[in-house]
Amino acid sequence: MHTAIETNTLVKRYGSVTAVDEVTLRVAQGEIYAFLGLNGAGKTTTIRMLLGMVKPTAGEVHVLGTSIRAGHKPPWASVGYLVETPNAYPELTVRENLEAMRRLRPGTEAKAVQRIIDLMGLGTYADRRAGTLSLGNGQRLGLAKALMHQPALLILDEPANGLDPAGIVEIRKLLRELVREQGVTVFMSSHILGEVARLAHRIGIIHQGRLIQELAIAELERNRRRRLVLRTRDCAAAHAVLIEASFAATLLANNTIEMQHEDALARPDAIATRLVQAGHAPTMLTIEEEDLEHYFLRLVGRAEAGREAAQTR
Amino acid sequence: MSNLAPTIWVEFLKARRSKIPWLTLLGFSLVPFIGGFFMIIMKDPDLARRMGMISAKAQIIVGSADWQTYLGLVAQATAIGGMILFGFISSWVFGREYSDHTLKDLLALPTARATIVLAKFVVVLLWSAMLTLIIYLISLGVGAAIDLPPTTAAIFRQGSITIAISAALTIALVTPIAFFASAGRGYLPPLGALVLAVILAQIIAATGWGEYFPWSVPALRAGMAGPQYANLGMISYWIVLLMSFVGIIGTFVWWGLADQSH
Repeated sequence: MHTAIETNTLVKRYGSVTAVDEVTLRVAQGEIYAFLGLNGAGKTTTIRMLLGMVKPTAGEVHVLGTSIRAGHKPPWASVGYLVETPNAYPELTVRENLEAMRRLRPGTEAKAVQRIIDLMGLGTYADRRAGTLSLGNGQRLGLAKALMHQPALLILDEPANGLDPAGIVEIRKLLRELVREQGVTVFMSSHILGEVARLAHRIGIIHQGRLIQELAIAELERNRRRRLVLRTRDCAAAHAVLIEASFAATLLANNTIEMQHEDALARPDAIATRLVQAGHAPTMLTIEEEDLEHYFLRLVGRAEAGREAAQTR
Repeated sequence: MSNLAPTIWVEFLKARRSKIPWLTLLGFSLVPFIGGFFMIIMKDPDLARRMGMISAKAQIIVGSADWQTYLGLVAQATAIGGMILFGFISSWVFGREYSDHTLKDLLALPTARATIVLAKFVVVLLWSAMLTLIIYLISLGVGAAIDLPPTTAAIFRQGSITIAISAALTIALVTPIAFFASAGRGYLPPLGALVLAVILAQIIAATGWGEYFPWSVPALRAGMAGPQYANLGMISYWIVLLMSFVGIIGTFVWWGLADQSH
């Protein structure tokens, strides 16, 4: 599979502040790659470097096989993008904003404007001034500008920002279709982690400028922490029974028993049987799976601790 | 430079849909009317005093109410008013992309950034030239309306050339303002630079070194310091052209090479 985006030890420093620190990543063609990070983690700076808006202090960026450097012929005809909050010319209508963008993208046919207006559900607003649009419709207009010329690569910074739940589902569906039917590659940053988990093929997590983890969604499933949580009428006694039966169990402060060992997770029925036999039938027994949000925060917290430890040394 | 015509079309669309062309036209239209007002006063200062148009103590400027003086006044007002107005146009055309946060949409397109900058300069140039032409035509109408005495074709030609040259020199000096709008990322820095340039132009012209300071040159050429100073040496024109060139290069380089993280 060809690489749509490739960065090699990409660094951006602003004075003594390192905004992006040796980020190396590869995004294959036809892939949806989600770039996760807290505010100020370096997501937008990385996206700006991918788009040639900001020059790297060190390292290289290749987009669709072309090096993004001053003096090179960049591949922008095949790239659609949305950086930070979408902004349009407020005095122009939605249609005029799109027409202006079409003319700046030579080769985009005239009917592309109406097509994207229909696709993005902007028909009602087509002849309204962009300055009067709601945040959600402004976002739709921004996405329309990115998609109008049917790009091979989409670089989207928080594409679901400002959209209502129905809009988020619509955009997710649209992006999936583009990837499936046209082989479009999507590189997107997002903080809506549930959305990312539903849409992305791979995830890159950036924290304080460093890419701390890259993983496929399938790996994420494996890495997520799972635990068996149970409750009985007498948790202390039930806990003692489980310990006696050589199960690793922890009695939590909220009068709940937590078990993380693989054996327990694989055989919850055995745990239940043992407790019933001992006269402590569970009133609640469930396997909880860490969601992406918690996984992300755990990872970021670990990176933070590692950095602090390194600084202490 | 490919895709220049569509890019100019886009820039004109943005200008046409805003209120700024009307505001600049309204502001610049004052020039012929103010000139006409002075002509009325000069024609008959006593009548003007009796009608309350001027105070009884007002000192009447030297000159006579004729086409030569009137066109000279229009040329001077074009040089000074144009510096502010054309500079404002340049600030708006370049600075709005930063103030409206629309710049990022222009930076990774198949249309080169240099083409976009050039299209913006073309729009500033044509917009300013169009304003000058309109003001010139209004001036002719106002002059006829206030019944200035008939004059020779040579005086008309000379007055018109002076207005054209003053306007051209003034327009040439908007390019550094475009640079300040780009490097300053908005409207305020270029407007600050503009005010500073206008103040310095007055001070330096008053010290007698105006012919070497680019922003003093248009007004001197228009006869602001008297007709004896209007015949500038070639060095003055070269200085204006050099400053214009520096502004153009600076703006192109800034758009092409500077980090655009705004």
